[in-house]
Amino acid sequence: MTQELSSLMDGELGEQEAERSIAACCASEDQKNTWYLYHAIGDAMRGQAPRRLELPRATFESLNAQPTVLAPRRRPLMQGTLARVAFAAAASVATIGVVGWIGTQGGPAAPVPMVAKSSSAIQPVANKTTISGAVAPSLDVQDYLAVHRQIPSPELYRPVNNRAPAAR
Amino acid sequence: MIRWIPALAVGLACGSQAAPGNNDPLAWLQRAAQASRTASYSGIFVHSNGDRTSTLRITHVNVGGEEHERVEPLDGPSYEIVRRNDEMFCYFPDAKTIRLDRRITARFFPSIMTGEPAAIAASYEVKLGKSERVLGFDCQWIRLEPKDGLRYAQRLCSETTSGLIVRSKTLNEQKQVIEQYTFTELKLGPHVARSDVKSIFEARVKKWITDAKPRDEAKSVETGWAVTNPPAGFQKVTELRRTMPGRDQPVSQIIFSDGFASLSVFVEPQGAPRRTDEASNEDGTTTFYVRPMGEHLVTVLGEVPLATAQQVGRSVARRP
Repeated sequence: MTQELSSLMDGELGEQEAERSIAACCASEDQKNTWYLYHAIGDAMRGQAPRRLELPRATFESLNAQPTVLAPRRRPLMQGTLARVAFAAAASVATIGVVGWIGTQGGPAAPVPMVAKSSSAIQPVANKTTISGAVAPSLDVQDYLAVHRQIPSPELYRPVNNRAPAAR
Repeated sequence: MIRWIPALAVGLACGSQAAPGNNDPLAWLQRAAQASRTASYSGIFVHSNGDRTSTLRITHVNVGGEEHERVEPLDGPSYEIVRRNDEMFCYFPDAKTIRLDRRITARFFPSIMTGEPAAIAASYEVKLGKSERVLGFDCQWIRLEPKDGLRYAQRLCSETTSGLIVRSKTLNEQKQVIEQYTFTELKLGPHVARSDVKSIFEARVKKWITDAKPRDEAKSVETGWAVTNPPAGFQKVTELRRTMPGRDQPVSQIIFSDGFASLSVFVEPQGAPRRTDEASNEDGTTTFYVRPMGEHLVTVLGEVPLATAQQVGRSVARRP
């Protein structure tokens, strides 16, 4: 039924199917809620402000109950193993600043954020996630991932806005 | 009129599904690989890998045998990748920078196969799965079962009329989905406009800075390193030197692929302090394995099980 409703919204139903679907939709409170909900989601995904409709309270309730699927999930830092933390943080923070073992500066006792030195490399955000405990030094997975997948990390380019761009 | 096109497509799909010769799984695989290059499509897809989920908008057209594509991530800072065949132009409006690169083997949905179907069939058993309606399209699932434990199983959902992959899943040994790409909205066919694959950010910035280094570095070079014991089915694609943040010198990168999964081996001089122990991590399909090797550090990253990454990482040696 919800599939049909979704198809209706996408204009994929034939005339008769659409009529039936509309009739069914307005006959049930549940379906009506789903209808509002789908539109609210659609608006949000298109980046539009929610429509000025008197949305039923149930719509908001079911919105609250929805799992967040389309937004990146943020993991609490202390959840899971520290290695996983490093990985998740690499995804959300984009750069793990603590690269004592691979950084070009800093002594063994003082891990420092990476500093781009070559002319075309761009300074990563100084979002420092300090990870202490068993798994040290941490892994700056994101840099390797960006090279491997050939999807440059926008975080590497973003801070350029505030300083002289390093790239030619 | 527009709203009748999906219905029409479904009608056509029903017809073509019964077409003879369509029971050959390799033919389906071939078609799926081809469709991602030759078909015209636009839509939104969601990519989930381990903990990470991202939503991207894609438009792809093929004009006179040339591929034109525009991909825009919809989460996080805005940027876009405009691609013409293998040339990639990545526009970062905030940084006013266009980053040039050349596509090598990286997986860009729905073009997720980099090898020939025959090469893929050497490492995977290719079978046809069930037929199913997905996103309003009639689809055929193609199953890639690994012949050994060195790679993951793949499930590809191919739209029957065009062959285009509309959904793909990667499964681990326990048959759990660890990575998924799926269109959530898809338009297929000639009504996808050529103008939709042009940069939308280009006009917003007066003076762009061009970062051509990634493209210059995307050329094969002798890195002086070799993998002496590559896992069965994995062939070397190329080797290059890449500039990476925080490094004085470029890092050597050797890329391997089994036609579907790929992995990169990175070799670089050890930084300070030196790393003395191995470390590894698996998140979704992305496996990360790092191993100190004297003065150097070996890092393997790819969409492969840990054992595969370890086998590669442990057999890195100076080229004789």
